[in-house]
Amino acid sequence: MKSKKAIVIFAALFMLFSAVSTQAGAAAVDTSIPEDATIVRTGEDWPTYYDPAVGSDYSDSTTQCNVYDPLVFPQQDGSIKPHLATGWTVSDNNLVYTFTLRDDVKFHSGNLMKASDVAYSMNRLLEIGEGYAYLYKDVIGKCYAPDDTHVVFELKTPFGPFVYALIRFMVVEEALVTANYDKSAATYGEKGDYGKTWLLTHDAGSGPYKTREFKLDEYFLGERFDDYFLGWNADAPQYFKISNMTDPVAVRTAMANKELEITDELQPLENYNTMDAMDGVDLAAFSNSNTFNMMFNTKAEFSDDVHLRKAVAYAFDYDTLRESIYPGALESRGPVAVVLPGFDKTIPAFKQDMEKAKAELAQSKYAGQNITLNLTWCAEVPEQEKIALLLQSNLSELGINLAVTKKPFGSMITDAQSPDTTPQISFVNFASPYFEAGGMLRTRYHSSSCGSWEQMEWLQDSKLDKMIDDALATVDDAERFKKYAEIQRYIFDLCPTVWGFNWLEKRAAQTSYLTWNAVTATEKGENYFMPMGFAIYAHDMTIKK
Amino acid sequence: MLKKILTKIGVYLLVLLGLSILVFIIARVIPGDPARQALGPRVSEETVQNLRREMNLDKPLVTQYLYWLKGAVYLDLGNSLQTRRPVITDIRQYLPATLEIVLLSALFMIIGGILLGIVSTKYTGKWLDGVIRVLSYLGIVSPSFLWAVLFMLLFGYLFPVLPTTGRISQSMAAPSRIITGMYTIDYLLQGNIAGYLDAIRHIILPAVALMLGGMAQAARLTRGNMVENYLKDYIQAEQAYGVTENRLLFKYLLKPSLIPTITVMAMDIAAIFGNAFLVENIFNYPGLSRYGLSAMLNKDINAISGVVMILGLVFIVLNILSDLIVAWLDPRVRLMGGSEE
Repeated sequence: MKSKKAIVIFAALFMLFSAVSTQAGAAAVDTSIPEDATIVRTGEDWPTYYDPAVGSDYSDSTTQCNVYDPLVFPQQDGSIKPHLATGWTVSDNNLVYTFTLRDDVKFHSGNLMKASDVAYSMNRLLEIGEGYAYLYKDVIGKCYAPDDTHVVFELKTPFGPFVYALIRFMVVEEALVTANYDKSAATYGEKGDYGKTWLLTHDAGSGPYKTREFKLDEYFLGERFDDYFLGWNADAPQYFKISNMTDPVAVRTAMANKELEITDELQPLENYNTMDAMDGVDLAAFSNSNTFNMMFNTKAEFSDDVHLRKAVAYAFDYDTLRESIYPGALESRGPVAVVLPGFDKTIPAFKQDMEKAKAELAQSKYAGQNITLNLTWCAEVPEQEKIALLLQSNLSELGINLAVTKKPFGSMITDAQSPDTTPQISFVNFASPYFEAGGMLRTRYHSSSCGSWEQMEWLQDSKLDKMIDDALATVDDAERFKKYAEIQRYIFDLCPTVWGFNWLEKRAAQTSYLTWNAVTATEKGENYFMPMGFAIYAHDMTIKK
Repeated sequence: MLKKILTKIGVYLLVLLGLSILVFIIARVIPGDPARQALGPRVSEETVQNLRREMNLDKPLVTQYLYWLKGAVYLDLGNSLQTRRPVITDIRQYLPATLEIVLLSALFMIIGGILLGIVSTKYTGKWLDGVIRVLSYLGIVSPSFLWAVLFMLLFGYLFPVLPTTGRISQSMAAPSRIITGMYTIDYLLQGNIAGYLDAIRHIILPAVALMLGGMAQAARLTRGNMVENYLKDYIQAEQAYGVTENRLLFKYLLKPSLIPTITVMAMDIAAIFGNAFLVENIFNYPGLSRYGLSAMLNKDINAISGVVMILGLVFIVLNILSDLIVAWLDPRVRLMGGSEE
């Protein structure tokens, strides 16, 4: 009797397991890699979408540049070089860009890349509207391929930084994606899902690494694509892996055990210091275009006064911020990240000066009043709380009260939709969408970005809009940069933001067997300016066995 | 008895319905726009609106719930905003991984808890009882994630004898056929002993971190009940008949003393699922709990509902199982159930 009941219980357990083991009968792919294979493993915040028409986050961008190729590729000094393209011409009216393509680029399928693949990729990106589409949707009117080696972009309006912006445009193989449309979905009409589901875990690229395995929510594993058009250094990693690993304890342990070659860029300072002390581990610290901003709502009471804003800017203790909270971070000077082409080097930096702060406050229309400012910081970036408390302490010396609120970034986005709900000060980290000053100026201060998290200042300055539009329509780099300089000075005088610092992207790496340009540049004190994701381009690394 | 169980199942189904309403509302009223969060801050409002329409987020809450409930009946829990595929597909992938840890953890907890309880009873008032008492208190008051971090540092960093991340080693291929989804079992079914050993090595640390609290509690409960029952007349009578101490402990004392322990242990096993949220994250273990945590952080509303419903279901199944086991152990419960029939 007892044994019968036991059998019933075990049967029930077995049924439960069977019910949940949903992949019953599914054959798994053999993804093991040889013990002696060379691999670069890095961790990043998840999820990862490497479909070029979908992903635009850090892990997306890192994976994309290892699996796909853009027409132009960013260089260590912040410039760009032709990549899939060999060159380009611009029409007299600056509206038509014609790119000539290499004829030796193979996709992972073995097929040669044609101009029609490039045109298809851009049109797919624009139609889906996700990922980096925001860079091009207001700019590109038409994209087509007149022959196999030329692709034409017809712009709606002249756009000077157009070629810079193309570093984010990755090319997919049209035939492969088309063959994998999920027609059961009607999202994109007869194109079904436009291949989005298939491209979640498969690639249609030509990049240095082809997909070996993609486990959603776990990792991407790529293996060297032997026919890569740039060829290979014999010591380049045979495999590239990016996984969902950012927990400090897990990262530190994995580094100690040499189970991770390069960490993510979000580790706490103490963790970097611990890893730096490990044998064979060194830190790479390099600049990207990420900046820390205290955005003033210029339409709100108190923060609508330029003198009050300047008083806050002069009261803030920048040195403590860059020495204790973000050691090594670069000094911010005005609205553009100091590493971007087009940054005006003549712009001064705000420094703490309580006398100047008091003088500015005295000139404010709110002088003598009881002033309370509301500040919101982003819950996902815990270090911002320290900055908020530092500012609170600084402002108390001026007699200004600061009410500090922590909010998830999602809520901050909702608050940013109206000047009435936008707090007087918001803490936001911002990186330029492409590596050029225009990307920062337009996204941060043009009226078209009001209502988004990118501009909680609500400047709505028509003169500034015209200046930005005019500069962006200027194709000649030198002339455009001159116009950018004027804009930067104009914004600096308005002081809509306290520009806190320029980020220094830090990562720990196994330098005893890995050669990585970022570490080499850090050690030599050279510039290493790479847009988000491109720093981890595994093709250029080498590994000693 | 059957009638009683069926009535309980009916009640549990109502609880599940209530849970679904609660989690559905909570997932939708917490701040932040899930469509915007999924697509990123720079995607155009038009694209975001399209996704809202696709997910029925533009409809009233009640309508949204009815759509969701209708789908849930057919095991369609909607699409995950993170993985961009059906939530049920995600659950099918991640649940076996978590079950694998939970089952091992439960096994350790049951065996360890009961054994420690017996030893403690046998040596009541002696130094061993004192040591077990102190260790049990330590286990009860320390949360699982603390053990996880300690194990990570201890076994991964200082004495790297066990793997501390993932399900299997880099050089190990996943089972060639996924049968249960639990790698240890699948490897065994395929006769791949190396794979089995690799998989089991990966789950030992998270499983132990998860079970310590429950094991300590089970040990205290078992000891307390055994000591209490030890003074009862029927035990005194057995002693008077000259029954040996070990026979007395295992045959006459343990069974009745386990009844409250089993009920608590069933709840502890359910709690392991909850504790796994942090532990899986620390060990970078790709299970349902880590998926659930990620869903909550990213406001992946369908995934949140799916994970919570699965956890609710697990809770119910464990409750029913504990009732069955208690009825099996305790004739009074069985007979009472029988008389109701």
